[in-house]
Amino acid sequence: MSKGQVGAEQRLVTPGMVVGPSSGKRAGSGMIAEKIEFIATRVGWLHEQNNVVSVSPINSAYMPRSGDLIVGFVAEVRNNLWFFDVNGPFQALLPMSLAPWKVEFGSTRKHLGIGDAALARIQEVDEPHNMVLTMKGVGLRRLNEGAVLSIPVNLIDTLRGDNNSMVSRIRDVTDCRIIVGDNGRVWVHGSSDDMRVARELIQTLNQEGHKNTFESAVKALENERGEH
Amino acid sequence: MVELVPSLLRQELNRLAAEGQRIDGRGHFDVRDVHLEVDCLYNAEGSAKVVWGDTIIYAGVKFEIRTPWPDRPAQGSLMCGAELRPVAHRKYEPGPPSPESIELGRVVDRGIRESGCIDMGELCIVPGEKVWGVMIDIHVLSDGGNIFDAAGLAAIAALRTAVVPAERFDVGEDHTLKVNGTPIMASFKRAGGRFVYDPREEEELGGDERIHITLGDEGHLHSLQKGLKGVFTPEEFAEILAVAEQKCSELRKMVAEKEGN
Amino acid sequence: MGGYGDVKLLREDGKRLDGRAIDEMRPVTIEAGVLPAADGSAMVTHGLNVAVAAVYGPMEAHPRKIQRQDRAVIDVRYNMAPFSTGDRIRPGFNRRSREISKVTAESLESVVLVERYPRSKIRVEIEILAAEAGTRCAGITAASVALADAGIPMRDMIVGVASGKIEDTVVLDLDKAEDNYGQADLPVGILPNTGEIAFLQMDGDLSVEEYNLAMEYNHKAAKEIHEVMVDALKRRYEGGEA
Repeated sequence: MSKGQVGAEQRLVTPGMVVGPSSGKRAGSGMIAEKIEFIATRVGWLHEQNNVVSVSPINSAYMPRSGDLIVGFVAEVRNNLWFFDVNGPFQALLPMSLAPWKVEFGSTRKHLGIGDAALARIQEVDEPHNMVLTMKGVGLRRLNEGAVLSIPVNLIDTLRGDNNSMVSRIRDVTDCRIIVGDNGRVWVHGSSDDMRVARELIQTLNQEGHKNTFESAVKALENERGEH
Repeated sequence: MVELVPSLLRQELNRLAAEGQRIDGRGHFDVRDVHLEVDCLYNAEGSAKVVWGDTIIYAGVKFEIRTPWPDRPAQGSLMCGAELRPVAHRKYEPGPPSPESIELGRVVDRGIRESGCIDMGELCIVPGEKVWGVMIDIHVLSDGGNIFDAAGLAAIAALRTAVVPAERFDVGEDHTLKVNGTPIMASFKRAGGRFVYDPREEEELGGDERIHITLGDEGHLHSLQKGLKGVFTPEEFAEILAVAEQKCSELRKMVAEKEGN
Repeated sequence: MGGYGDVKLLREDGKRLDGRAIDEMRPVTIEAGVLPAADGSAMVTHGLNVAVAAVYGPMEAHPRKIQRQDRAVIDVRYNMAPFSTGDRIRPGFNRRSREISKVTAESLESVVLVERYPRSKIRVEIEILAAEAGTRCAGITAASVALADAGIPMRDMIVGVASGKIEDTVVLDLDKAEDNYGQADLPVGILPNTGEIAFLQMDGDLSVEEYNLAMEYNHKAAKEIHEVMVDALKRRYEGGEA
């Protein structure tokens, strides 16, 4: 919430709410200009930065963009490609040629089967319903251990913090490996106890994220666990 | 819609089971928070709302007057139905009642019917002419796991607080429905290779077979159902049956408390 | 609309049987985010009516024949629970619920920015748990709040509200008896920001003057309900008074 905040007061807007005159400004996301006024299209916090007025939504579905780092589950396997559930409205396609292994035609199932998880990047989005993934790149791989948790995509920035400061603190305090996907899926790996702590923390974020109580939950955990 | 089962989820459930743990930190026979509210729906003659973890279920009781079946001229009837409508979860699709909906309704129905808590003879108004038909409808609004136990609890609580609308049908005075007993269901799910009580959503998604046990006030069995792929041993059943007795009597107390209000 | 004049619906003092003034609405309460399994949800009580709405999506539109290449379709199901009325309703779709679902979907498509989600569908499930006249309006209001709660972009929300005529008098927000024995019912869906109308049905008998007065009442009531809708969304995300 620190970025782009003009003035201390935060204003919650709802769809259809007139936010103010549109003259000399541009409508950002969550905002449309009708005649001479800006109208909010989503529930969220009002932002204004560089003359762009936008809403940072309190809830939002994942809309894939090229370059996104995602945690996906294999939903379908063909002889030369995989279809992934990436938490978006449509499945994404990983061709054999963009897998991190040398894959022979017909042997795709040996590398990734239905239900398997992988860390991938969105290579290309033609239209929201036509997405290509790649697993060629540093760190992109099949996820063989750990658990995949979900958070609303609008809370990703809160979980990561500025320059990933928050997720680093969470890694330290929970003793877990954590990767935050742009698609609202979070990969967590550690001992069962540590993973439960991480899971509870992310649950707190899911329930309380909009109230900015997440940071105090992390701090409380740091104090508690730091004593051991 | 068939839900995708993540391989990592099954793996994690296995690991947790081996360590005697559960995904949300519960003991394997612990229950989530359960809230019961009765008499909460205008227009229903008996009603209950159950919030069980992330599961939310309403049950409503309606009465109708009908002619008795020829072979049972002095007996009324009882029917319990459930609908898993698409409101309750992304996975439920529109269309005619699914096999899952029908199973849910019938398992709850059997538990109540076979416990004998409703005396069908008491539902007779004029033998051979007029009897009461009692209908319990179960409406699942949010499926967060273990809808069977929540549905069973809502149904019996709605039934036990129902008022027979005799005045509206011009057959005497309104009176509370006589219900002799409180059959309660306890459900178990194999998750990570062992049984847990009151499965949450992840345990249902990544687990195997489920077993539903309905017990009456005396601890007698009134309905059993094994659902989904999987097999279990007699020893496993003996263990969960003992757990079920304790869980059912706790929930039976909850129903009695709500009736007192 | 039922019989005319054979049932008294207005009292000597000019008030209605439940004590309301002719331009007085039944109490409305709204709660957002009531269903954990849904992407967005709301519960509306309007008088004794209880409507719950859940939103899922956007998701790929299935079956394929309903897909639109240039926009999302809104797939609405309005359903009355079997125990929601005096006599039990048999489960399943009937002609009435199909029609209401259709026109509700079309009104919501008029405010949701559907062109943002080509080939998708947004599922809106409206469940009526208790009915006492005015369920389609309570359903529209609930659906709007649920869509907002799900983060679906809309140029406005829609407020469901109705006026009608009893004993030759135009009144706001018919209750069960007034609906059964009144002379007209005019349920509408109003965009509170612009005053535009996205949902319109009517049955009975109204003069043009009576229609205009009924609409005036509807617009006034829509403003009041809209405040309750906004308040519900704010309470959910601001954490209320606490």
